[in-house]
Amino acid sequence: MAKQFKSLHPTKFYRDYLNHDIRPDGRLISKFRPVIINIGSIATADGSALVRIGKTTVICGIKAELCPPKSERPNEGFLICNVDLPPLCSSKFRPGPPSDLAQITTRFLADLILNSACIDLKDLCIVKEKLVWCLYADIICLDHDGCIIDACLLVLLTALKTVRLPGVEYDAAIDKKTINEDEQKSLSIYNTPVSTTYAMFEDKVITDPTAEEEEISSGLLTIVVKNKELCSIHKPGGSPLSEEKLYDCISETINHADLLITLINTAVAEQND
Amino acid sequence: MEGKQRSNVKFVFLKCGVVSQAKGSAYFEVDNTKLIVSVYDPREIPKKTDYSSKGELFCIFKYAPFSCPNRRAHQPDADEKQHSAIVKRALESAVCRHEFPNFQVDVYILVLENDGSALSGAITAAGIALAQAGIPMYDTITAATLAIQGTTKLLDPTLEEETLCTVATHKSDTEIDYDSHGIIVLAMLSTHEQISEFYQLGNLDLETLNESVNILMNAAKDIVPLVEKCLVDYVTKTLKSNAES
Amino acid sequence: MEVENNTNLLMRDVNCKLGIFTRPDGSVFISQGETAVVVGIYGPIEVKLHKMLINKASVETHYCPKSGTPGISDKLCESILHNVCEAALVSTLYPRSSILIIIQEMQNRGGILSCAVNGCCLALLNAGTDMKFLFASSSCGLDDEGNFHLDPDNLFLEKATASFIFVFDSVGKGLIASHTSGSFNLAQYQNALELCKKASEGIFDFYKCMIKKDLQDKI
Repeated sequence: MAKQFKSLHPTKFYRDYLNHDIRPDGRLISKFRPVIINIGSIATADGSALVRIGKTTVICGIKAELCPPKSERPNEGFLICNVDLPPLCSSKFRPGPPSDLAQITTRFLADLILNSACIDLKDLCIVKEKLVWCLYADIICLDHDGCIIDACLLVLLTALKTVRLPGVEYDAAIDKKTINEDEQKSLSIYNTPVSTTYAMFEDKVITDPTAEEEEISSGLLTIVVKNKELCSIHKPGGSPLSEEKLYDCISETINHADLLITLINTAVAEQND
Repeated sequence: MEGKQRSNVKFVFLKCGVVSQAKGSAYFEVDNTKLIVSVYDPREIPKKTDYSSKGELFCIFKYAPFSCPNRRAHQPDADEKQHSAIVKRALESAVCRHEFPNFQVDVYILVLENDGSALSGAITAAGIALAQAGIPMYDTITAATLAIQGTTKLLDPTLEEETLCTVATHKSDTEIDYDSHGIIVLAMLSTHEQISEFYQLGNLDLETLNESVNILMNAAKDIVPLVEKCLVDYVTKTLKSNAES
Repeated sequence: MEVENNTNLLMRDVNCKLGIFTRPDGSVFISQGETAVVVGIYGPIEVKLHKMLINKASVETHYCPKSGTPGISDKLCESILHNVCEAALVSTLYPRSSILIIIQEMQNRGGILSCAVNGCCLALLNAGTDMKFLFASSSCGLDDEGNFHLDPDNLFLEKATASFIFVFDSVGKGLIASHTSGSFNLAQYQNALELCKKASEGIFDFYKCMIKKDLQDKI
């Protein structure tokens, strides 16, 4: 019966659950889903990670290439991240050019990396004006079950921490590059921004929504924190939210951030052992 | 590697039901090759006005940008387009297309890491995903790859072995004829030993070809129990969880 | 909440002209300082079959940059505008139809998103589309000495450590949208929110003036 009722009246179905302070998947309103981080699963990439938040699965592979820098920024390398939401991950996406959501998420992540200054592009410089590293971070969603920004940010930061770059010697006179595979250098990551997403449903704020919950919600809110500081408070429209509820969400995020950062560090430390 | 024969199936890891949003999905791993397939509900064929009595399969075979030694572009390249067409051809004869006229079933394949034999893996995995999605099928479909260089035959080659076997070499220093070399991908419906797809790269003499087909057919048969077990496990698991709730 | 060390608490001049076009159901030209946009509304109009919703109108938003095709930063802008308008419109009144909102950037000297949001609200008023509430947007920037600057222009934004854009509703004064760049602490965010909330009051008053003036002209 429940199945039929759910497909006929999804909102009513959900409201009935929330009135008893529980969600259809058995979580409380402010309960996060379990997070799993796996690293180094892709041998062909220079750094890789896989993150699961509940059923949401994203994978990130970072490939490093050598290239000349831009002339206006001669001592800076590049970090190009791209979020791909292929039709494989959900029936919401169709094959063809990247969906709006993929483009928005890509842009949002690029802004966050810039705003948080978690990586210094000057570290990617090998020889000024001649040769720099270009890191292509490709994030692919394998299973879309909500909170895609959180998963993408988590997987990107974890993957960046696993990047190992070989030593490069460059002879400018004859334009010769010598790659020294023995010398493996990791990147300096100066801070770790992490995010959590909330969904507004009528007068309630639901933590860590699934795709179904996102679908019926009247708006989303994403909060990004780093070292107890705020990095972004992104509420792209939707139903109005009172300030008290917003501040509650912020403090909840700050609490949860510690857990996520510990998780990343544990995963990365295991690789180094 | 001269004269080496490897005709037993390597350790293969299969799992179905990995993508929660998809109707059917499968994960396939052999050596370092990792790929994931998802299948969605039949939907109306977009931009089609006339009636088609048979349903269509729509396959996209994609390499992740970080899956190969060199970075791949996001736009599908010639290789990917060809592989998509091969998978489609292979699967078409396994699916009862008359059961869903005027509809298409989407099959999306993503290679996360390519270490050879990705195409045959994709066909096997797609077969599992289609079965899990409840798409009517005649039989389980399995596939295998064989790389040949001279007298050497390697089943489920790695990327390095694939590359070595696509290079043409002379039979000996004095002869100008090329030795047999190439890659064969063969997909088969095992119950009646029907070959649904045969794709060959390189050039082979008839004798080698005969031997190769035998090796490949045996290999494809060897995977069938794995596929069946994977599906049975899934069904029992689903039944159990349904009984509990 | 006390807001200290403010160097600039005044908005740039806001000007607008309603009903500038005859073809759309509602249109407006709005400028904030040297930033200007034109917004046109069509609706409710016929909807394409694949976009049709049976219980409400589908809201389509198109953000056109000054030149070229929309890039990925324009898409982000467009998605915010879309979500804000969708939240404000009583779309259940117009099932099986579509409301089309077209925003054309004329000149961007900072704060284009705020300007566009305000333009959308005025254009919707001009079109007479039913809304649950009005909405107003204001932005502010934070410089490296911790001073707030209301409605900053692009010269300020280039060296700002953080910038904030907020959208408020007219009924409960709740927060509809928030978009930030740069990093900041909680107190700074709260200050910015208070500051912009006050500024948004001014914008709601401005809406009233403009609608009144428009009606008087018509009579």
